[in-house]
Amino acid sequence: AHGPEMHFGFQTVTEEERREKIYQVFENVAKKYDVMNDSMTLGIHRLWKDILMHKMNPCPGTLLLDVAGGTGDIAFRFINYVRAVRQRQLQRKLKHQQNLSWQEIFESYQKDKFNSLGDSQVVVCDINREMLKVGKQKAQHLGYSEGLSWVLGNAEELPFDDDKFDVYTIAFGIRNVTRIDLALQEAYRVLKPGGRFLCLEFSRVSNPLLSRLYDLYSFQVIPVLGEVIAGDWKSYQYLVESIRQFPPQEELKAMIEDAGFFKVDYENLNFGIVAIHSGFKL
Amino acid sequence: VRCQQYPPLRALQASAVLRRASDEHKKEPLTSSSQQHFDSPPADHQPEPQEPQGPHPSYTGQGGQESEDYESEEQLQHRILTAALEFVPQHGWTAEAIAEGAKTLGLSVAAAGMFQRDGSELILHFVSECNTKLSKLLEKEQKLVQLGEAEKKPIDEFLRDAVEARLRMLIPYIEKWPQALSVLLLPRNIPSSLSLLTSMIDDIWHYAGDQSTDFNWYTRRAVLTGIYNTTELVMMQDSSPGFEDTWRFLENRVADAMAMSNTASQVQSTGEAVVQGLMGAAVTVSNAGCKSRI
Repeated sequence: AHGPEMHFGFQTVTEEERREKIYQVFENVAKKYDVMNDSMTLGIHRLWKDILMHKMNPCPGTLLLDVAGGTGDIAFRFINYVRAVRQRQLQRKLKHQQNLSWQEIFESYQKDKFNSLGDSQVVVCDINREMLKVGKQKAQHLGYSEGLSWVLGNAEELPFDDDKFDVYTIAFGIRNVTRIDLALQEAYRVLKPGGRFLCLEFSRVSNPLLSRLYDLYSFQVIPVLGEVIAGDWKSYQYLVESIRQFPPQEELKAMIEDAGFFKVDYENLNFGIVAIHSGFKL
Repeated sequence: VRCQQYPPLRALQASAVLRRASDEHKKEPLTSSSQQHFDSPPADHQPEPQEPQGPHPSYTGQGGQESEDYESEEQLQHRILTAALEFVPQHGWTAEAIAEGAKTLGLSVAAAGMFQRDGSELILHFVSECNTKLSKLLEKEQKLVQLGEAEKKPIDEFLRDAVEARLRMLIPYIEKWPQALSVLLLPRNIPSSLSLLTSMIDDIWHYAGDQSTDFNWYTRRAVLTGIYNTTELVMMQDSSPGFEDTWRFLENRVADAMAMSNTASQVQSTGEAVVQGLMGAAVTVSNAGCKSRI
């Protein structure tokens, strides 16, 4: 079936073709996804994701939906973060309760011991089976089990009810969504009133000198790395092309506002190489 | 100007939380309808007018008039901060208190992300609310005096009562107030906290009426600010029942200030007398010295 013309990197394809091609890309790169991220960004992607988590500042009890969460980077960071916050909460509570009987201490210890996450949960949703597989393996390997679930789903049509989640994140995924407006509408739908939308994505570098260097690095170095490390030149060519095709900060901000979000704002990281967009469902 | 233009394509679905002014008393969020939302936010908030893309539904809103009834984001933020105050004694002036406040309004805890992590906005909101309460109280008292139902207080009693009333508003939060003070002193908060403080002080002097004192405008401000700040600090460390030590301290400070105003005019003449005395002493000493040399 022929649909409207869309871009796949610098090529022009139909909507259907685009979805298929992107699925193929991630099927191919899934196993080497993390390694490639580290080598392409020289490990800086870890900092970007840490900054995203810091900005989110989730408190225990938060329900997070991580879309296009594939290999689980955001999910694991979320779990670490709420666990640490919960620890501090419990310590503060203990300090204030100096006059408890042994029975009370025992009971509160029991209750809290099995609640190290404070009822926080993260659902990782991805359209690509291979990426989810890699993510689950990683979770097992790193020992993450509590408060974590994996769901196969399409960002344009999420398999969740309305008003469910406190936070919706999509890190380096929205670029690969074919109908961004639908994804944003779905994000709005599944968030609770007061819930927050956070998007971490490559964006436009405005500084001209930096932009030239960045282009040079992107088009000359990254596909080569892709070939050498992952044996896949084309996928990484697609990656850098798709970054150029993605709307810049202000345009994405307008799209998020159109979906109904309020207090939409963005923060540039590394001069605009990456930007975090944030909006609230009010 | 914006009202006259065709309203921009914005939030075609009804806002989930921002309430119509008429719904103030109902608790349910709005049912969805294609009503346009429009508030008067700063310019950067509106998207540039752009062509609707593809399957984007066409605008079928019902015109700009209705949308002005919607609560603005700022009003919602105020509601959240007010609700958060209840949790301050337990959590301090933190994002956690704001998250709890948001929960009581039926919002997600993630709404606390709208505010800064150090609780600055919560504290400034509280201070501003207290100042408003104080203004209302003083206005009420003034009305009573005007209607002849109450006696006009002498200036020192008026100042004392006003400062005491304002400081009493801190009592429920007194344990966490030192933390709030330190946040208010952060460089980025100083403009706001200073302006709130001075407007409160000016307010008190305004309602004190034009009972003549020998203070000029600047000294009045400085004197009362000094009284207020020092009393506030004393209150932080006061463990006496009902803060009686603090109120006694306040009484003394106000009395000092009153005495000072009387002294002010005397100081000038005294100053002259002192100088003459010193001159005289100097002459005497030099004479005595000369005499002894002879």
